[in-house]
Amino acid sequence: MAKYLINRALQMFLVFFIFLTSSYLLFNAMPGNAFQSLLLNPNLPPDAYEKTLALYGLDKPLFERLQLYIINFFKGDFGYSYIYFPKSPVELIAERLPRTLMLFSIVNIFAFYTGFLVGKILAWRRGSKSETWITITSVFSYTVFYPWFALLMLYFFGLKLGWLPIGKFLYPEKWYDAPFDSDVIFVNMIWFTVIITLVQFIAYVLTRNIESISIRRNLRFTSFVLILIGSYFYWGTGEALVRRPYAADIAYHMILPVFTVTLLAFAGTALLTRTTMMEVLKEDYILTARAKGLSQKRIRDRHAARTALLPVVTSFIFTIVTIIDGSVLTEQIFSWPGMGQLILQAVLREDIPVAMATFSFLGIFALVAHFLADISYAYLDPRIRIKSQG
Amino acid sequence: MDENILEVKNLNMHYETISGDVAAVKDITFHVKKGESFGLVGESGCGKTSVAMSLVQLQADNAKISSGSITLDGQELIGLSENELRSVRWDGISIVFQGAMNAWNPVIKIGEQIREAIREHYPNNTKLQNIEKIKELFEMVGLSETIIDRFPHELSGGMKQRAVIALALSCNPKLVIADEPTTALDVVIQDQILNEIKKVQDLLGLSLIYISHDIAVIAEMTERMAVMYAGRIVESGPTKDIFANPRHSYTRALLESTPSVVGDKVKLNSLDGEPPSLIDEEFGCSFSPRCSNPTENCKSGKSEMGLIEVAEDHFADKCCVECG
Repeated sequence: MAKYLINRALQMFLVFFIFLTSSYLLFNAMPGNAFQSLLLNPNLPPDAYEKTLALYGLDKPLFERLQLYIINFFKGDFGYSYIYFPKSPVELIAERLPRTLMLFSIVNIFAFYTGFLVGKILAWRRGSKSETWITITSVFSYTVFYPWFALLMLYFFGLKLGWLPIGKFLYPEKWYDAPFDSDVIFVNMIWFTVIITLVQFIAYVLTRNIESISIRRNLRFTSFVLILIGSYFYWGTGEALVRRPYAADIAYHMILPVFTVTLLAFAGTALLTRTTMMEVLKEDYILTARAKGLSQKRIRDRHAARTALLPVVTSFIFTIVTIIDGSVLTEQIFSWPGMGQLILQAVLREDIPVAMATFSFLGIFALVAHFLADISYAYLDPRIRIKSQG
Repeated sequence: MDENILEVKNLNMHYETISGDVAAVKDITFHVKKGESFGLVGESGCGKTSVAMSLVQLQADNAKISSGSITLDGQELIGLSENELRSVRWDGISIVFQGAMNAWNPVIKIGEQIREAIREHYPNNTKLQNIEKIKELFEMVGLSETIIDRFPHELSGGMKQRAVIALALSCNPKLVIADEPTTALDVVIQDQILNEIKKVQDLLGLSLIYISHDIAVIAEMTERMAVMYAGRIVESGPTKDIFANPRHSYTRALLESTPSVVGDKVKLNSLDGEPPSLIDEEFGCSFSPRCSNPTENCKSGKSEMGLIEVAEDHFADKCCVECG
């Protein structure tokens, strides 16, 4: 196992190095640079442009800059943003990341869960009328042109019905005299979500070995109710009580983007689950499970869905990465000031340190996600577990 | 001992397909006594497995039982709801499956897959009781206790088949159906498994339906048997009687196609032709095209099929009996 991990780590490092070099070269291959707009101003002294370039080290040859950048990168120095000068890319990412993470982790959880659930039921009800209609809907939402659909949703829910805000992640007038930054609330909300998910997960693991199915189910339900009560008390006391209306404001702004993106993202998972599950349902061990007199639900969830989970998890982890990339589009449409907008801005204005920092963040994220996919494979399929140990 | 654990009367089952109904089980009648092993023999596609699956109603979705009755220990099984059937499955009738290789879910431990069945039918058992029970069963079929925590892919074919037998016995079923349990195994392991089944049967006094295409295995394993051809039983009775005095030409052909270990080398007789398509409506005796000495009656389709008693508890199709 240790050997396998070291191997993987080396591989990941190599891939990342190549990724870093090629993105740096690509960004520098773009025509012009961030400071060219200075030339447009006739009032500036003629040598100002050259001086600025020299200040930022942009007058050096490309290869030397690349070398410097990579050495500094591994020292942990990412430079300064050209546009927001005194700020470093890390500061910018730290400010934007919670907003994106909050939105897209929720979207991902929803999309995966509903997709898997819907796919499971579709395969189980193969041939029924509802199956046909839901499959057609899924194919539609899988193939629809995403920005068009998002705008349609904005128009309908934001403008026609007026139920939900059109863009931005908060009402500025509400936050005018707020005693804290919006990031504080975001971080708070993320921790809250992480902790309740963990508690539910632990409750699930602890009850795993209880023999009686009804007791297990009741215990799990109790833990769910306890979490609900616990979160009610959490938001009803002390510091959190002050933060509550602000958190509620952010949550309110999140509804439409979460709903829209989930609606589009779930379809891929659902269709894939449906296909793999239909293959699994033909297997002999499903017949064994039926012959044992197990309930339909148990055969579906424990015997069929569990085996069908494998390809679904892989594809899901690939989509996580693309969804973070896709945040560029989503955040632009919903005016959500997160990572996506930061990337777009940095690339358009050739703010290379910020663009590089955000891209390498995405790169690391993708590599880690794939690594986790491999690990979860071993957990889901015991046949792989044996091989990777050897 | 004479009490019948299972009675099947005039069972008809067909598969609905695009090209028409396939009558896989036609007018089948047989019974299994308590503690007895009963053999079903016939070539591939003759409906053996369809009969077995009809007993617990686990056929494919397009299968329909059109008429007949199945009584297990006095309880009528035809017309039960899915939930009522669930309690009959494994607790009443359990199955040792054909392909042991694929009978296990690859991602769940063997022990858990057996416990799951016990849990379904004995919900009040503790985990410890269930594990004790599995250990007991494993000892009976000659498996080590450590298999409980193994995954299916870590076991050899023979071990998997033994574990399947343990699984089939886990809920103390009234009747066990062994559906070609040795098909995918080599001859040595086949013999071991057969001995294992026999041993367990003697030990527990099991009622057993043994399904096979191999008439030699049936001879070894069963006390009474039935020969199936094209969805019908063409001959049934005590195994000894049938072997000593086969009355149907198909049974005779089956017996002639099996090599004998003792005696001179003789050329084996094989049966020409193919079984009839089950979609077509049948005229007269379905075996007549392949029969060695058909009469004019058989050929013209005037004779009717149906079992008649030729000796005590020994039935054969009347067409062949009348021909001689």
